[in-house]
Amino acid sequence: MTKRTGLYIHIPFCVKKCNYCAFLSFNAETSPRREYADALVSEIALRGEELGHPVIDTVYVGGGTPSVLDISQMRDIMHAVGKSFSVKEGAEITIEANPATLGRKDGVTLAKLQAYKYMGFNRLSMGVQSMDNDRLHCLGRIHTAENVVRDMELIRRKGFDNVNLDLMFSIPGETTRDALDDLRKVLELAPEHISCYSLQIEEGTPFGDMAVAGELTEVPDEEDRETYHEICRVLREAGYEHYEISNFARKGAEDPDGPSPYRSRHNSLYWDMSDYIGVGLGASGFTGGRRYKNTSDIEEYINALTVPPIHEGARVKVPLEEDHLNDGFDNISEAVFTGLRRREGIRYADAVDAYMRRAGGSTAAGPKEEFWRIFSEAKEEAEDYARQGLLIIDDEGLRLTEQGIDISNQIMSLFV
Amino acid sequence: MSYLDNIRNFSIIAHIDHGKSTLADRLIEKTGLVEARDMKEQYLDNMDIERERGITIKLQTTRLQYKAKDGQEYILNLIDTPGHVDFNYEVSRSLAACDGAVLVVDATQGVEAQTLGNVYLALDEDLEIMPVLNKMDLDSARPADARAEIEDIIGLDASEAPEISAKTGMGIDDMLEKLVEVIPPPQGDPDGKLKALIFDSYYDSYKGVIIYTRIFDGRVRKGDMIRMMNAGKNYEVTEVGYCIPGTVPADELKAGEVGYICGSIKQVADARVGDTITLANDPTEEPLKGYKKAQSMVYCGIFPAEGEKYENVKDALEKLQVNDAAFNFEPENSAALGYGYRCGFLGLLHMDVITERLAREFDLDIITTLPSVVYKVVMKDGSVLDIQNPSNLPEPALIAHIEEPIVKADIMTPNDYVGSIMTLCQNRRGKMVHMEYLTKTRVQLHYEIPLNEVIYDFFDALKSRTRGYASLDYEFLRYQPAKLVKLDILLNREQIDALSTIVPEEEAMAKGRGICEKLKEIIPRHQFEVPIQAAIGQKIIARETVRAYRKDVLAKCYGGDITRKKKLLEKQKAGKKRMRQFGQVTVPQEAFTEVLKLDDGK
Repeated sequence: MTKRTGLYIHIPFCVKKCNYCAFLSFNAETSPRREYADALVSEIALRGEELGHPVIDTVYVGGGTPSVLDISQMRDIMHAVGKSFSVKEGAEITIEANPATLGRKDGVTLAKLQAYKYMGFNRLSMGVQSMDNDRLHCLGRIHTAENVVRDMELIRRKGFDNVNLDLMFSIPGETTRDALDDLRKVLELAPEHISCYSLQIEEGTPFGDMAVAGELTEVPDEEDRETYHEICRVLREAGYEHYEISNFARKGAEDPDGPSPYRSRHNSLYWDMSDYIGVGLGASGFTGGRRYKNTSDIEEYINALTVPPIHEGARVKVPLEEDHLNDGFDNISEAVFTGLRRREGIRYADAVDAYMRRAGGSTAAGPKEEFWRIFSEAKEEAEDYARQGLLIIDDEGLRLTEQGIDISNQIMSLFV
Repeated sequence: MSYLDNIRNFSIIAHIDHGKSTLADRLIEKTGLVEARDMKEQYLDNMDIERERGITIKLQTTRLQYKAKDGQEYILNLIDTPGHVDFNYEVSRSLAACDGAVLVVDATQGVEAQTLGNVYLALDEDLEIMPVLNKMDLDSARPADARAEIEDIIGLDASEAPEISAKTGMGIDDMLEKLVEVIPPPQGDPDGKLKALIFDSYYDSYKGVIIYTRIFDGRVRKGDMIRMMNAGKNYEVTEVGYCIPGTVPADELKAGEVGYICGSIKQVADARVGDTITLANDPTEEPLKGYKKAQSMVYCGIFPAEGEKYENVKDALEKLQVNDAAFNFEPENSAALGYGYRCGFLGLLHMDVITERLAREFDLDIITTLPSVVYKVVMKDGSVLDIQNPSNLPEPALIAHIEEPIVKADIMTPNDYVGSIMTLCQNRRGKMVHMEYLTKTRVQLHYEIPLNEVIYDFFDALKSRTRGYASLDYEFLRYQPAKLVKLDILLNREQIDALSTIVPEEEAMAKGRGICEKLKEIIPRHQFEVPIQAAIGQKIIARETVRAYRKDVLAKCYGGDITRKKKLLEKQKAGKKRMRQFGQVTVPQEAFTEVLKLDDGK
């Protein structure tokens, strides 16, 4: 497999934080967006230089809500990307947007979309979450179903032909029927890609607090799983390829049996041990066999990157909260549990290759034998899962069945 | 005047929490042996577990020097005693090494059942008892009431009892003066035949077993060949000395003195508390009275948890046994838990201490099974079997009847709680023998209760029903026939031998239901339904079901944060390690000890 490289840029601002969100995000109105954009520009330059201006295959601007940045701020950021990296011809360049954030206050939505086109974005990912206004309200979203329909129309009008819509299910009080209703309305918008996530109640979020206080009608596991499998079925029937636990891509017209051309190329990097450079607050990266994570302290981040060093010639450094050089086992273990997220699963050869990359040496045995030598302790239980129809083990590799996805954490935990 | 006149050998008797260890600390500090800055809180309690629980299990002994107001220099040998009912025998042997005892009574609480128990032990040894009133620094101290109680309940004259605060040091000087005056000097003939009492011993990896001893007659030096009269074994003395604290070598120990002896002894079981030391080539005729072999009252299985090595457990148990003559073990094989050990303890606290030490000091991952008592099973062919493992109970058809151990339990309580204590005891199959009003507001209840009912959570239940005011003392009384059956537990229709218990027939239904409900809480969800059943023989008497686990999936990895996901998976894997696999069913380790903690007070 030819290894590719991606660039992830994090924008930690939102108009309003959602009730379920445990992610790093600040109020867009009151946060130093300009200073943050400047800091990003300087980190991009720094990372580009450090890594020798590498060729990159994908760029992904995520958040938070990247579309809350002003056009000029986003333009500076993307300009820096172009200067410090050699972005490949035909690269996938995605920006996340939330409905009702694309327009400026005067209502000129098309201008922002047009600007994204100029900046090179060719893929848009929009956080729809639900098509029911009551449920959107429950989630703490700022938009309505009507906003989604209108924004989608404008997006299409501006010629974006690779659009992902995020949809959430198991929203408190939601039935399987409700969720399928949402899905039907999303399908009417004919997106190229759909991500369907089961709502996770996290500690420290408004939902988390409500759950502790017993004020949240959580959807029971049984119903959540029924909804999931129904969603998989409906999307399959609608011509979408289920290629990862939560991700579905519309099949290509030319080769309906092959892999969909609309799979998220950037997210796929996370699942096959490719390199990705993370920039921005709290961003994670994996380069040169090293996993790192930037600081989550916004003041520290901005200061480190925008205040010039006191000593002349001293290098600016991004403060990290994590920096770990993977060993061979780290590599193979991550290759397995990230790879198992894909429906096609993992190939022993790729997993062992990831292992050898750090552990070095070569093996006379075949990749299958070598793989099970490394995971000899997990073998018995893995075979148990296979007998139960949750995991498929063959001569080439492993993959989860649709039922196996339901308890994928348990299966993955065999390999860490 | 003999050297004996300047020696005082004494113990401190106190109920748990009444400040014995704190007082010992103050005495050590006052007599200048340990610099104040080196004082750890409660110097004599040197085991972590003891320190945490504020109780003393293992004896320590200390030689203090005190210059009295009469200008004389006195040697005060403080022989500390353990403070729990499980260690009555050890307490009595420590007391036998003394000539007097300081009785510490908490001036805010008064006399407790255990105080009384230990005072009786001291009186049995003919000790002079000097009461002192502690915690006088507290506003809630009521010394007049406490004095009256000492006189009414124990029958000791407390009019001159010093009022002290071990915490602040108040009154300690007066107490020491009084101690020298009240407690008699030891008697004995330094030129007689050696007769010395072992009142404690511990294992030291350099010196072998260190014996704490009180010399009654004769003398002992390095190079002497000594004999343990009850064990019948001889050893050459390699060192003698005093405990100041620690071990400080001396030329000899002679009659009336307290100190230590080493003799390349391999394990403490060979220097059993209560045994008499004499010289092998010039022995005394009669050993000292009161020697008893250690007898285990409570048993449980200890098994290596998933991933723990059997050998590690064995090594640790052997190391603990070297230092604890009352602890014994033998190999056991469980269908559910594999190879492990059946271990015998003096009582429940002793069991807790050992299992905690295994986890803490030896860093072992172990599973302990439900504690059990020893049943006498009378077979139809007339033979009698001692059964302490429910799995070994013979076929009911072969059994004539079963006898269970009964203890005599003395509970002392403020009269307000008599009602709820009586309910508790009744629920535990207790029979009231007698109730007496010690004072207008204090009552002592005498019960006969099956030991089996006391070993799970009786003490906790008693404390919670009386806000901690009631105190308990118990001792073995006799074996008595009872209608008992074996209650089996089945998980996913598979019998788990380690969860079997022996219960009274009439309570089997309620117990079975309780255990099933508890297991339902403890056992995590699986991918399939797990039926939990309680059965007597072939008959299912209770059933619960653990619902299937349907969802364990992380829908999204935020922005490629693989490390976060990995940590979650690692945590999940570690959690699973602490479980035990039975066929398809995974059971957390606490299941084996928690299931029977069914407090009926709730």
